[in-house]
Amino acid sequence: MPVREVSKHIREGKISPVELAEFFLGRLEKLGPGFNAVVTVTRESALSQARKAEKEIEAGLYRGPLHGIPYGAKDLLATKGIPTTWGAAPFRNQVFDHDAAVIEKLNEAGAILCAKLAMIELAGGMGYKQPFASFTGPPKNPWNPGTWTGGSSSGSGASVCAGLVPFALGSETWGSILSPANNCGVAGLRPTYGRVSRHGAMALCWTLDKLGPFCLTADDCGLVLEAISGPDPDDPTTADEDWRYKPSAKKRFTLGVPKGVADDAQEEVRTCFEEALSVLRKISTIEDFEFPDMPYEAITRTILNAEAASSFDEFIESGKASELTAPEDHYGPYARTVVLAKDYLRALRLRGVMARVVDEIMARFDAVVAPSSKRVATPIDQEFRKAAPGTTKDPMGAIGNGAGLPSISVPSGFTSNGLPVGIQFMGRAYDENIIIAIAKTYQSVTDWHKRHPKTA
Amino acid sequence: MSEEKSDDKEFENLSNVVKGRFGDRLTAEELEQVKKDIKTIADASKALRTVKLSNWDEPFLVFKPYKGRK
Repeated sequence: MPVREVSKHIREGKISPVELAEFFLGRLEKLGPGFNAVVTVTRESALSQARKAEKEIEAGLYRGPLHGIPYGAKDLLATKGIPTTWGAAPFRNQVFDHDAAVIEKLNEAGAILCAKLAMIELAGGMGYKQPFASFTGPPKNPWNPGTWTGGSSSGSGASVCAGLVPFALGSETWGSILSPANNCGVAGLRPTYGRVSRHGAMALCWTLDKLGPFCLTADDCGLVLEAISGPDPDDPTTADEDWRYKPSAKKRFTLGVPKGVADDAQEEVRTCFEEALSVLRKISTIEDFEFPDMPYEAITRTILNAEAASSFDEFIESGKASELTAPEDHYGPYARTVVLAKDYLRALRLRGVMARVVDEIMARFDAVVAPSSKRVATPIDQEFRKAAPGTTKDPMGAIGNGAGLPSISVPSGFTSNGLPVGIQFMGRAYDENIIIAIAKTYQSVTDWHKRHPKTA
Repeated sequence: MSEEKSDDKEFENLSNVVKGRFGDRLTAEELEQVKKDIKTIADASKALRTVKLSNWDEPFLVFKPYKGRK
C-alpha cells in the first residue's frame, strides 16, 4: 500500500503507528534475510519512535504525511549508535555518534526508522562486476531470487518491492537508484544534485552522489523528497531554496526520446519501452531528438574514477580493499589512482560544456524518456556484462549524473518470465515536480505498480 | 613520436606507477586486470581531448572561501 494511503489510515486513527511498526518489523525480520536485504533491524528504537508518534497524533500534533510511517535507510546513512557498515566487511562494526541530515529530517517528519538496509560495498565504488559484492550476501530480487536486485541501493529496492517497508532511502552516484528501481519494479527518484543534503552519508564522489527515495508510486516519492530536501549549512552543495512537492497541473506533456536510446537494449526491454511510448502518446506529444556528439561517458567516468580514488584514498593505500567481498573489488580501485589531475580537471571543464549543451536541448521538453535500464535483472551468479552483453553503454546515466539532473524510474511492464522493466523520465535541473507529475500521470493510466511479488 | 606511440608510452608509464606502488599486493592475474582498467582510463582521457576547450571554460565547480561563525 502506498505511503499516501497508509498515511490516511494513520491520520483517521484506523491504524496506530505502533501496530504499523510491529507489522513491518516482523516482515523485515522474517523476510529480509531471505533476500539479503537487511543489515540491522532497529526494533527497539523503531518502537520507541512509533510510541512517540502515536502519542503525538492522539494529542493532535500531526507532523505531516510521513508521521508514523516506517522506512528503511541504505546503510551508508549515519544513524547515531546504530552500525553504519557501508555494505563493506572492513566497516561492519562502524558506529557514528550522529545522524545523517536526511535521518534527522525524517525524525522531524515523524517517520519511523525500522532498518538499515543492505547495499553493495562502498556503493559499488571499487568497480564490482557481479552481484555478490556485499558482506550481507548477494542481493536477491523478490520477483525472482535467482536474479539480483540491481545496485548499489540493493536492499532499498528489495525492501519496498517485497513490502518490508513502505518507503526506503537510497543513493545514486551513477545508476544506484535507477538500477534497483528498474530490477525490483518500484518507483525510484534520483533528485537534482544538491536537492538533498549529503551530510552524514558515505561519500563516494562528492560531485556525483545524490540521495533519493524508493516507493511504490511516483506520488509517494514526492512526499518523501519534500521531507528530506532543503538547504543545509553542513552541506554547502545543497540548493539554497526549500522544495515543496507540487506536482505540475499540466494534463499533457512534451517528451523527448533520444534517437536510438533503446536500440541496444534487450529485446523485451525494447518492446516494453515501445508499448510504454504508445501509452504516453495518449497523454503527451513525443518527439525524437539527438543529444550532440560529446564524450559523455568519458566525462562522467573520469570524474567518478578520480573522486572515488580520492574519497577512499586512505582505505586504498592501507590495502584493506583485500578484505572486501567481491574478488574484483580487491584490485578494482588501483587503476583509478593514476587518473591524472589534469584529466579530472578537463572532465570538470567539459562538465560545464555538457550541462549547457544538454540543457539547451532539454529546454524543448518537459522530460526526456528512456528505458531505466537496457537489461532486466541478470542472474545472481553471473557478471552483468557476460549475462547481458552489449547493454552496458549508458549515455543517459552519463548525462544525467554528470550534469546532476533528476530522473524518476517507474515500472513499465514485465518480461515473459516475470521480471520488471522500468521507464525513466529525466528532467532539467530542479524539475522534480514536472518529472513526478509525468510519472504519476503515467501510473494513473497503467497498473504495473500495483503488481507485487509473492512473498511468504 | 606518433600519437599512438605516445599513448602506449603513457599507458605503460601509468601501469608502472601502479605496479611500483601496489604490485606487492596483487597477483599477476589481478595486475593484468588493473592494466586493462588503466587502458580504459587512458581511452577515456583520449576521448576527453576530442572536445576543444577555450581558456575561459572553467571547471564546473565553484570554490567559496570559508568563514566560520564567531
